[in-house]
Amino acid sequence: MALSTLTWVSMLVSLLLLPGVAAAVLVRSLRTEERKLALLREQDDVDSYSPRALSDLREWIRANPDDPYAPIARRRYNECVRSLRAIDEPHYDWSDEQIARLELVDE
Amino acid sequence: MRINFGISWDYQTHYNSVHIYFPLTTPTIVAHPYNYLLFKALGRIIMSDSEARTAREEWGSRFGFLMAMLGAMVGAGNIWRMPFTTGENGGGAFLVAYILLLYLIAVPGLMAETMIGRYTNNGVIGAFKQVLGSKRAQGLGLVVLIVNVALMSYYAPIIGWALYYAGHSVLMTFTQPGFQPQAFWDGFINNPALVVGMHTVTMAGLAGVLVFGIRRGIERVVKWMIPLLVVALVAVSIRGITLPGGMEGVAFVFTPDWGYLTRGSTWVAALSQALFSTGLGWGIALTYGSYLSRYDDVPLGGGLFTAIGNTSIGLLAVFATFPVVFAFGLEPSAGSNLLFISMAQVFPELPGGSLWAIVFFVSFFFATFTSGLGITEVAVTTVSEETRLSRTGAVLASCGAIWLFGLPSAYSSAFLGRMDFMFGSFGLPLATLSIIALVAWKFGPERARVLDLNRNAGIYVGPWWNPVVKYVIPVVMVFILGYGVYSSIGTSNQRLMLLGVAFMAALVVVSTVVMSVVGDEPPSGSAAVPGGDD
Repeated sequence: MALSTLTWVSMLVSLLLLPGVAAAVLVRSLRTEERKLALLREQDDVDSYSPRALSDLREWIRANPDDPYAPIARRRYNECVRSLRAIDEPHYDWSDEQIARLELVDE
Repeated sequence: MRINFGISWDYQTHYNSVHIYFPLTTPTIVAHPYNYLLFKALGRIIMSDSEARTAREEWGSRFGFLMAMLGAMVGAGNIWRMPFTTGENGGGAFLVAYILLLYLIAVPGLMAETMIGRYTNNGVIGAFKQVLGSKRAQGLGLVVLIVNVALMSYYAPIIGWALYYAGHSVLMTFTQPGFQPQAFWDGFINNPALVVGMHTVTMAGLAGVLVFGIRRGIERVVKWMIPLLVVALVAVSIRGITLPGGMEGVAFVFTPDWGYLTRGSTWVAALSQALFSTGLGWGIALTYGSYLSRYDDVPLGGGLFTAIGNTSIGLLAVFATFPVVFAFGLEPSAGSNLLFISMAQVFPELPGGSLWAIVFFVSFFFATFTSGLGITEVAVTTVSEETRLSRTGAVLASCGAIWLFGLPSAYSSAFLGRMDFMFGSFGLPLATLSIIALVAWKFGPERARVLDLNRNAGIYVGPWWNPVVKYVIPVVMVFILGYGVYSSIGTSNQRLMLLGVAFMAALVVVSTVVMSVVGDEPPSGSAAVPGGDD
């Protein structure tokens, strides 16, 4: 039985959006882990937030200084800043200028 | 107390994993490769203040965690439900609705559940205890636990069925001359000793894996079962599609009938499939997430890969079953009968049928068994944390309780169906609501997102995530609960529905009361404990 064009398109799009995406995510996840481990072995440390994620965290800390979770947020923020200053090669896409502009927050 | 320890380097993975042995203590601490930083501080960990502290076990590798999540979420429903649900609801049109809802609801929901597990490093009751901070509120954790145990009590006999058929496929029973699939099924299901026996073997098998823990137990098994399941489904799919008439099955499933997108029933079916087949809110993602290390990613693996990978296997099941169903003129809506009766009658007629029967039934057993591991681990982790039992004791207690509660379902398929209706329709949405409410309404989505979800993440999750978790998922769950009630009114299930709703309401009340009596007092009084793993 010959399939209609619409059926072919429907099937191929489903294959692309499901197994295709799943396979791509699996490969990316495994490669990311491999790179993170290599950095950890070389540098003993790795940055824990991406520039956008750390910026979000900083904004949240500023907006919620008395939140019960603020101490852990500040600790995690500073931990990431200290890591970025200590390591040669960040895991995330940080530029030297971005790292230089980062400041620790009061814990 | 003096503790001897030794160190070995494990090259099973390509990372230098560190095993730290404590011969005089019960647990063997197995550190994640990421935790070699922790290892540097070994002296402090091993003996401080003359007391040994044991670190929480962690996944040995990223691949192991991903396969465990996938294995837990891929179950019988993916193989016997998704193909028919797709074909029955407009084929490609259903897939459009389904994929949309999967990305919109299931992926963010799984991110939330895995994140709260990783953040609290606790099982279901411990997570509620840490975030909510009150003894009474821990009752919601108990609700999730009880729903899981109840669900596993009737899922275990189904794994037993799969094991029985997998065993007979290896014995080549299905290709013996004169084999009668209906008589074979009736002979099995109407033999209580045999069904209860398979249920017992299943629970013993699960206990035998779980007793070894996360890395040496679950991870070791799923790392080969899940890839083999995928390979087997691909092989059966290719065989099915190349059968004369097999493409008709593909046409039935994938030809879109766009009119179905305007029907409410299509969207309800897509919602149910997207939520329940991905295992959102069962406590599995929370429990498995609690064994992640601080350096692990949550949104990419715990959210995106788990939801999409699970559905991908459902799609493979479509290719594996429907071409065969149409090629042999079988009834596509037969549900569990499709596997155990209809498919069993196909293999004698296939060239190399014995081999295809083994591939098909063994892979089906793998799908169900790995789900059983995930569901049971929810109980094992919680019991070991909330009682003084060791891991072995918690495994024996949890598996023993599930085995005992599963006896009625093993004995009577009708009872199993009633349990499935009650806990599938009302228990699971309640458990999902509890877990999502914990993240969305107590922890807070923005706090969760900036503090933990995006920490060491493989993808950045933006603020769009907050309203989805806070409003969309709870509304959808309430809608599904309401729809289950509404659609049962005036049907033969009405009485069972009323019983289910009453039972779930009572479960919440009793669990709350029980935990307010026996629950642990939070360390800082009534205030929630920030927690975190640092």
